[in-house]
Amino acid sequence: MQELVLIQPGRAAEKEFAQEAAQAAVRREFEERLAECGPLAYRVARGVLRNSADAEDVAQEALLRAYRRFERLRDRGRFRAWLVRIAFRLAIDRARSAKRREVRETLWSQTARRASTEDLAATSEFQEHLDRAMDELPEKRRLVLLLAAMQGHSLEEVAEMLGLPIGTVKSRLFFARKQLAEKLRCHRK
Amino acid sequence: MPSKMKTCEDYRTALTDAAAAAVQPSLELRSHLDACASCRAAFAEEKQFFAAINKAVRATADAEVPVSFFPRVRARLNEQSVPQRSWIPASVAFAAAAALIVAFVFLRGHRRDGAGPNLQMNIATRNPARKTIPAALAPAVVPSRTQAAKREPNNRRLVPSGNQVERVSVLIPAGQKRAVDTLLAGLRNGALKADMLVSEHPEQPSQDLELSPLTISPIEIKPLAIMSEESAPEKEKTSR
Repeated sequence: MQELVLIQPGRAAEKEFAQEAAQAAVRREFEERLAECGPLAYRVARGVLRNSADAEDVAQEALLRAYRRFERLRDRGRFRAWLVRIAFRLAIDRARSAKRREVRETLWSQTARRASTEDLAATSEFQEHLDRAMDELPEKRRLVLLLAAMQGHSLEEVAEMLGLPIGTVKSRLFFARKQLAEKLRCHRK
Repeated sequence: MPSKMKTCEDYRTALTDAAAAAVQPSLELRSHLDACASCRAAFAEEKQFFAAINKAVRATADAEVPVSFFPRVRARLNEQSVPQRSWIPASVAFAAAAALIVAFVFLRGHRRDGAGPNLQMNIATRNPARKTIPAALAPAVVPSRTQAAKREPNNRRLVPSGNQVERVSVLIPAGQKRAVDTLLAGLRNGALKADMLVSEHPEQPSQDLELSPLTISPIEIKPLAIMSEESAPEKEKTSR
């Protein structure tokens, strides 16, 4: 005996077409966000890692993650803050694993790695001390300090980006600067 | 007056705080700075120090984005499968999974209590015809009609009575859906019988089609000649 199963091909094709159109719209919207917020993700990662290649990797990864979860983001206006947090978290993780690796590695390989980076030319002694002092800052303070120093962001913008009250941003920035000053005072020129 | 009793050392922290916060010093501190040249110099130095820190932080934070950054990101985005919103929310999926587990546990317990250790054996003994089906070919559980309907809710089906069910998928050409619906309705009502569709009609003997050969008029083939306008008439004459 036979059972007849009737398939309507038109409906499936329509569904596929609608899905493709929706995906293209998502991609277009993401491209706009990428142009606007991509540099910010890179700079946040660069601020934590202080290495261009690592920062590029981390920023790419952050953007890919954001793209994968883009449709789940209900408030697209929060994209910038969302991306900053992803990039910062990834950069912190990368920095920690690099630190662990450095402990394992020998001193000569450490110096060789630093000498090979393009960033060496840009760093002065003071800058190196500052970088080390920044590494020791608590994460929350460090992120506020970086964002406030970046692209001339105002404190209101930083507060909006991180979803924090302006007072919290001010106090974090104040304590971050003070902590840096305490560490750097002995290296003062 | 308490302010007069304060020494320069007492103002040191306030100086640093004002420089760190990059704000105007308090009224009390300002009046002290106006009066004390050394504190004024220390304050200026502190401000310079924090300005240097800010500059260095800015140098770290405001790095130039490499030219290769955007092309690389786009290339990686292209490699990615396009994000798709899951049509089942996570909570629903979780609830469904939990329900399935509960149902499985319940059925297992029910089997042990009531139906005996081997349900397949019970079915086989109740229906001797099933014994003839080899174990390798027989499905574990024959799906009931309602189960099949639940599995494919969008498809329409006609199931003639019988034990074994073989499915045939039929692709409906555009514009013929109504005709097929009418046909199916007839089959369901009993106005039409499925056998009529698959067997040859006894009253109409099959007729062989007559095929006549295709007639093609003979084609005159001439050699291709490139002729100039002047020589063309002469060549025509010679060919004739």
